[in-house]
Amino acid sequence: MIRGILRVVDPATRVRLRRHIALVASYAVLQGVSFVLVLPLLRDLLDGDTGGAWWWLLGYAAAAAVTLVLRYLQAMSGFRIGIATINALHHRLGDHLMTLPVGWFTAQRTGRLGRVVGQGTKDVSGILAHLLDPLLAATAVPAVVIVGVSLFDWRVGIALALTVPAMYAAHRLTSRRLDEVTEAGERTAAEANNRVIEFARAQPVLRSSGSAGLGRRLLDDALLAQDAAVRRRNQVEIPNRVAFSTVVQLGVGLVLAVVTVLLLRPGADAAELITIVVLVARFAEPVAALSGLASASRMTREQLRRVEELLATAPLPQPVQPVAPSPGPGAVAVEFDAVSFAYPDPAGSDGDQTPAPAVPPAVPPATAPAAAGDRPDRSGLDGITLRCAPGTTTAVVGLSGSGKTTLLRLVARFFDVDAGRVRIGGVDVRDLAASDLAASFSMVMQDVYLFDGTIRENIRIGRPDADDAAVTDAAVRARVDEIVERLPDGWDTRVGEGGAALSGGERQRVSLARALLKDAPLLLLDEATSALDPANEDAIGRAIAALSGRATLIVVAHRLHTIAAADTIVVLSGGHVVETGSHDELLALGGHYTRLWDSRASSQGWRLAPAGAGGELLSAPRR
Amino acid sequence: MSRQPGSPQPGSPQPGSRRPKPPKAFRELAEPVRGALRAAVLLQALATAAGLMPFAAGYLLARQVLPPGGSAPDRGALWTITGVAIGAALVHFLLAALAIAVSHRADADLQLLLRRRIAEHLSRVPLGWFTEANSGTVQRALQNDMEDMHYVVAHARLDLTAALIAPLACLAWLFSVNWALALITLVPVVGFALAQKALIGGAKAQMGAVAAAMAAVNTAVVEFVQGAAALRTFGHGAGAHRRFSAAADEYHRVFTAGNAPILRSVSLSTGFVSPVAMLLVILAGGTLLVEVGQTTPLDVLPFVLLGLGLAAPVQTAGGAAAALYSAFSAAGRVRDLLAVPVLSEPDASALNGAALNGATPPDTTPNGATPNGVLAAGTTTPEGRTGITVELRGVAFAYRQDAPVLRGVDLTLAPGTLTALVGPSGAGKSTLAALLPRFHDPTAGQVLLDGRDIRDIPADTLYRLIGFVFQDVTLLRTSIADNIRLARPDADLDTVVRAARAAAIHDRITALPRGYDSVVRVDAELSGGERQRVAIARALVTDAPILVLDEATAFADPDAEAAVQLGLSRLAAGRTVLVIAHRLATITQADQIVVLNRGLVVERGRHPDLLAADGVYRALWRVSGVDDAGLSVLPILASSEERS
Repeated sequence: MIRGILRVVDPATRVRLRRHIALVASYAVLQGVSFVLVLPLLRDLLDGDTGGAWWWLLGYAAAAAVTLVLRYLQAMSGFRIGIATINALHHRLGDHLMTLPVGWFTAQRTGRLGRVVGQGTKDVSGILAHLLDPLLAATAVPAVVIVGVSLFDWRVGIALALTVPAMYAAHRLTSRRLDEVTEAGERTAAEANNRVIEFARAQPVLRSSGSAGLGRRLLDDALLAQDAAVRRRNQVEIPNRVAFSTVVQLGVGLVLAVVTVLLLRPGADAAELITIVVLVARFAEPVAALSGLASASRMTREQLRRVEELLATAPLPQPVQPVAPSPGPGAVAVEFDAVSFAYPDPAGSDGDQTPAPAVPPAVPPATAPAAAGDRPDRSGLDGITLRCAPGTTTAVVGLSGSGKTTLLRLVARFFDVDAGRVRIGGVDVRDLAASDLAASFSMVMQDVYLFDGTIRENIRIGRPDADDAAVTDAAVRARVDEIVERLPDGWDTRVGEGGAALSGGERQRVSLARALLKDAPLLLLDEATSALDPANEDAIGRAIAALSGRATLIVVAHRLHTIAAADTIVVLSGGHVVETGSHDELLALGGHYTRLWDSRASSQGWRLAPAGAGGELLSAPRR
Repeated sequence: MSRQPGSPQPGSPQPGSRRPKPPKAFRELAEPVRGALRAAVLLQALATAAGLMPFAAGYLLARQVLPPGGSAPDRGALWTITGVAIGAALVHFLLAALAIAVSHRADADLQLLLRRRIAEHLSRVPLGWFTEANSGTVQRALQNDMEDMHYVVAHARLDLTAALIAPLACLAWLFSVNWALALITLVPVVGFALAQKALIGGAKAQMGAVAAAMAAVNTAVVEFVQGAAALRTFGHGAGAHRRFSAAADEYHRVFTAGNAPILRSVSLSTGFVSPVAMLLVILAGGTLLVEVGQTTPLDVLPFVLLGLGLAAPVQTAGGAAAALYSAFSAAGRVRDLLAVPVLSEPDASALNGAALNGATPPDTTPNGATPNGVLAAGTTTPEGRTGITVELRGVAFAYRQDAPVLRGVDLTLAPGTLTALVGPSGAGKSTLAALLPRFHDPTAGQVLLDGRDIRDIPADTLYRLIGFVFQDVTLLRTSIADNIRLARPDADLDTVVRAARAAAIHDRITALPRGYDSVVRVDAELSGGERQRVAIARALVTDAPILVLDEATAFADPDAEAAVQLGLSRLAAGRTVLVIAHRLATITQADQIVVLNRGLVVERGRHPDLLAADGVYRALWRVSGVDDAGLSVLPILASSEERS
């Protein structure tokens, strides 16, 4: 465990850590030495040799004084090194996260990540502040006491030494059983926790299913399973604790019996033997404390494993010698050159099945894995070659799972391609410095993340040095002014964490305003207007259209009428480009695009009809 | 729905209302297991007493054999003492284990009881209460708060019992052995207790600052992690990283500044009562008293054996204080949650049983299932279905007093008719629709079903009458079949399949590896459009005569859109429907189109009449981009050639 911490911290902290461990160890040893010194002291006292006792007392006092100083020093050092370790881990994790591909940050991951960075680092440092002292004491004090007692009476020393393996064996045995039931308990607790989140978020559905419905049973079943696991854990834990304590006590009993036997022998040094009995209590105490530490240290190990795992995630390589982006303002070309890409891990490995950590989440629940979230589109691409000329609009269409979103993500370098190249302005995105890449494009995604600040602040993120007029102008173009007008606090309305106070369409508009304010040469839109009503979609569509010529646009859209006028329409299917051309060319082709267009037309022509004109319920479809 | 900022949260403490102190809240909550907890305390007391006997045995043993050179030790007496010591130790552990077992059982009982009580209670609070923030509160109450209370229920009393009884008994004995040495032994304990008391006061003052710094770190973590994509695409990754680093350093600073002095005094004061220091005092005092003849060496032994544990109560109290504090806060939060006002439910006795026999589940076959007689007098539609008249009378609603969302809406939905709700975004359409399934209750006015205020209809009956399919479809993590028959657990698979077919989702479901048994989000990830179609199938099986629809289809694929529309039109057939329409083309045949603007009904009528009226509807129609042929005329994204 200690080795684990040494691995995850930086070298400077590592040195301090080693020093701290040495300090704690010497404290534990000196504690044992002090206890051993009690032996001759008491013996002389009981023998009536007060003079000898005084000398030993002096020795004991000296040892005790040093012990106490060490005790204080190690406590302060533990505190300081603990908080320094939190800080070191925060920085190390922070630096590391900066190097990870943006695509790595999926919703499932970010929920867990918050816990690792928040609670995990605290737990790991807790080892130093709270666990190290008792753990080392449990080892060093008994060892020193055994050696010390042996110096006075080797027979009792042997008896003591015999008890130690038994105690550790009992500890190992019982803590392994405990780990098993604890793990089961955590699994059911995580399951119940997920159900509770679902319970809160799916309330409307649960209500409408009635109190006798299936929905209510889901939570109750999870609560019952959790309850059963807790009871099972109690049933295992308590007898195991008793068993361990009994072994410790039997060990003490054995020593007591040996002492009794020795006392009964003629010529026994009664005073010495009695003081050994006194010392045995000091011997057993730290060992008995082990059982209480087991669960804490197990939890810490788990947190440590998570931190290590996180630090082991491969970063996104940065160019050694970044290539300067194409100079000057104005639109840039985007090229895909035989690009292939598959998502690194199968979707399943990241899924909800993964039991949540045992530790209660430290982050606000809004960041917990969504009970009803779409897993992001994780379809790969296979041999895509494509050129988007500067200042043109390229629309990417296709059924879901065809890889449309992936295409945009590769331009933004959320991930690196497996084969081929993606170039912006003629430069491979992997050769661009991160800041140059970020400056070259704006992106509006389907699910928009807003910060817990005001609407104005959220827009200004697009260009922090923009003046109020520019912010307002971008806001007006994205029709945010209309939202602002409606909200009680106007521009200063706080949007809540993740923008929770706004509707999906409103968040999209704020995000669009942000992108418009940034005014980058490349604009990537992923279903950016999907949640807008027709009036706003129309207005914003015009605002976006006004950018063409000035910026290169790559647009993923499913409502085909919004992109019918694009310069180039690219139809994706199964990760391949199957058709490319303008709207009219593609319609004339009578292929994939035509089919998409026709099915759109059929839905457009659809009517919700009043009852009288409606069909029979559950009848065959009528066309 | 509940997205507007500052919506009233009945859960938050009401200013001026008198709330009992948290410990009292805890006592109230723990009332059901009080008996068991008392038994546990009794067992612990006995265990503690047994635990002292081995120490006493050590003293007795010494008296048998000391002073040296006395009479030969009595073999029988020695073995008896040894045996009793070992036996008492075992009894001690057994009783202590029993005490722990009893209290843990009580804890498990209480947790289950409270969790179910909270779930039951929350199932009756207004739906609008379940905001994003409150879903966090719910999670916290049902899980974290229960864990926080665990220490107090399962451990605190036992720890305190042991910590009180053992030292008191020891003290009594030690005083009887030698009062002077007993007093000397007490010196560090008293010093420690005084220091501890001063410290707790100081610690409380610091706790706020440290907690605030921790919260700042957490916020920075969330921003850093959640906003990673957004931030980096705007080139601000470094900024968030800086903010996070700064928050981490600030935490480091505040934590160190706040806690270092406390820790310094804590480690100094606990040093006084550490075994090494206590032994020093006892041994020095003992040797001195022996030297001056005030006591015998033998009488020093009990002090060496037992004097060390005298500080236990103070130490336990110190250690338990933090746990007690968080447990009591947890109890306070749970109590507050249980005090959130529930939706007014009609008094059962006040109900006219004959008029509301809908409390029994209606026929489960969706085909032709008619919730006949759910309300007394239904009107019969051409298909022979019983319809219900929905009426809104002067309905007003506001999430925040200064920002009314609905301002006096009158509306009647005749049985079996289709009413479309249209209007610019922010007009209050969604809010109005949400009043029917009682996500909120109107702040003024009434919603009536066949003349009965929906507040007078039991929830189970109401939800059998009103179904809804909103844009945001929630599926439960259970099999797809169960998701579809959620409201009718006894519906057979055949019924489920027929509903799925009608909702145009059957083929997608059968394509899944486990078909209808596929567990949502475990075996199958469904797209928005697919989820919506499952919801439509669900509504078909539920078969409520009144339906509230949010028609928007902002979903991934053109084919999905067509399928959703098909499912919706089948679902709507033959019911009393209120639809929030975003694409006006879909509702041109509605019996009634209601145009909302800024919380008011500004126009109502049928499509041709409204077009002729040349008002708000006409303007909406114009921008909705649909000409008579239903095709787009909008150059949403004009190509560069067209522009130049």
